[in-house]
Amino acid sequence: MATQEIHAEQLLGRRVTAINGRVVGRLQEIRVRKQTRGWYVEEFLTGDYALLDRLAGWTIGRAVLRVFGASHKTSSYRIPWDKLDLTDPQRPRLRCDVAELSPVQIEE
Amino acid sequence: MKKIFEIALGIVTSVGGFLEIGSITTAAQAGAEFSFQLIWAIVLGGLCVIFLVEQSGRLAAVSGHTIPDAIRERFGSNYFLFLLVVIGIVSLLVMAAEFGGVCVGLEMATGIGFQWWAIPVAFVIWLIIWKGTFGVIEKGVSLLGLVTLCFVVGAIAMRPPWSQIVHGVLPTLPVHDKAHYWFVAVSILGASISPYLFFFYSSGAIEDEWDESYVGVNRVIATGGMSFGSFISVAVLVLAAMLLLPQGIKVEHYSQLPLLLIPVFGKTGFWLFVASLGIACLGAALEITLEIAYLAAQGFGWNWSENQRPLDEARFSLVYTGTILLAMLVVLIGIDPLKLTVFSMALTAATLPVSIVPFLFVMNDKSYLRDYRNGWISNTVVLLIIGLAFVLSLVSIPLQIFGGS
Amino acid sequence: MDLFRDCLDKQLLDQNKQRMGRVDGIIIEWPSDGQPRVAYVEVGAITVIDRMHTMLRQALLPLLKRAGALTDRYRIAWGKIHVGINEVRADVDAKQTPALEFELWLRKKVIGRIPGA
Repeated sequence: MATQEIHAEQLLGRRVTAINGRVVGRLQEIRVRKQTRGWYVEEFLTGDYALLDRLAGWTIGRAVLRVFGASHKTSSYRIPWDKLDLTDPQRPRLRCDVAELSPVQIEE
Repeated sequence: MKKIFEIALGIVTSVGGFLEIGSITTAAQAGAEFSFQLIWAIVLGGLCVIFLVEQSGRLAAVSGHTIPDAIRERFGSNYFLFLLVVIGIVSLLVMAAEFGGVCVGLEMATGIGFQWWAIPVAFVIWLIIWKGTFGVIEKGVSLLGLVTLCFVVGAIAMRPPWSQIVHGVLPTLPVHDKAHYWFVAVSILGASISPYLFFFYSSGAIEDEWDESYVGVNRVIATGGMSFGSFISVAVLVLAAMLLLPQGIKVEHYSQLPLLLIPVFGKTGFWLFVASLGIACLGAALEITLEIAYLAAQGFGWNWSENQRPLDEARFSLVYTGTILLAMLVVLIGIDPLKLTVFSMALTAATLPVSIVPFLFVMNDKSYLRDYRNGWISNTVVLLIIGLAFVLSLVSIPLQIFGGS
Repeated sequence: MDLFRDCLDKQLLDQNKQRMGRVDGIIIEWPSDGQPRVAYVEVGAITVIDRMHTMLRQALLPLLKRAGALTDRYRIAWGKIHVGINEVRADVDAKQTPALEFELWLRKKVIGRIPGA
């Protein structure tokens, strides 16, 4: 069983591309959860909302996004761990269709 | 009673941080060339810095984190390194200007050229930081800095036209030398809204072990201290307007600045000026040296505190020692301290957005500030300051070229 | 828990609450037939430099190597890490790790030789 070692900090900000080559967004967060034998990666988050969440910038960011008319659109996604191909960590790729992904929820 | 004493001391300390070679020089230039017209720039700068300083103190008191801590933690290592390089270079130039100010004060007192004083002054600054504690540095130098009240006494003794002073609080357009007018205005704002001031303040709050109970005290200190400092700067401007402008004296050399006090106090005025210049610059040099070391240490997660032995925080000690040596070299080379002061103030203005934009995000972060996050007033003011900072960053260097001395 | 928001770049404290740097990197191990797992936290100048833009990295690395300012990467197993609010604690003694190598060298060879240190 081969194990790949990935530097998570070097994934931050990397463009994630879909199966068709379209850029889905930039990787902004890795969500992990504690299980019996350690902490495991649950999902990867991409896009503007994920960035704002990481910067704790909702108060300011939402106001700015509203001004630029971006609040109705979402290009922020939650990618389950098994739907992201990190064989080449410099070029993360989706293993599924964008339509299968859930959007990042706006945190109040 | 203890809190009242701390407030009084805090206000005095804040004055020491506000008034330094940049604010003295730019206020004197403003008064000597544009009479009372640029008082608004000092008032605006003072208001901006009150908000920034209060917020930085609140961050430290509530979260136990400083601004560089929070910026590294939220914005990552790459942005922090960018901030470190930009603020480090600008702070070093300002530090060299303050260092030069101390040397010029000694030149005025003794007649011995300022470059000769570079090594002894470097040694004294280094020794104070090496052996002193934060409290001794902060309060000792600041109490000595009360000598700068001589500018206020002098300005009142000149019986200034108060209606014109009040009129000067409102912005007006220049009637002559437009580029130079705006350059001086930008320099005043750069001298007032210096990142080192509110960065140092947040580190100082940690050194003084502030906690949540100091939030109210912090507000009083920030408002009182920065207001008091602005008041003294206005006094310098008033003196220049009344004493230098009528004689057509433009501030192009430090040797002209004692003329602000000699007509009022006679020969004593000369010594009061030398003491004010030397002590204000010494205080600022100490603060900026420490701020550069704090910035590096906090961003990289090293041990840091002025209250620990140098041996227990070797990297922190190395950075402040290196900073002092570099500033000493700048003065030894013979760069004119006045020109360096004016240039470094303009450069400070140009680089403001780098520090203030991330600061706004941090001040709205629940994990740091909990219920003490910025309200809409504070956020609006900081957004306006950011807008002002971007304007300053765009115009300061062109104005330096077209309107600088 | 969010790795970047809650752990990366946070102040790292040892078991004695001594500052030992920051969480400069986080290592994930991804087995070919399983779920990726958080394995280590990494500390060190090389880790920080690896996060920079390629051109900057290529310019800085040789300079810092020549100056002797680079230490090896130091990893702490995730099992010894406790993530708090805006800080991370490690069940290690910082003085026994490479994280303080340069600091201890400076204390012994430079700062410690100056009177009054």
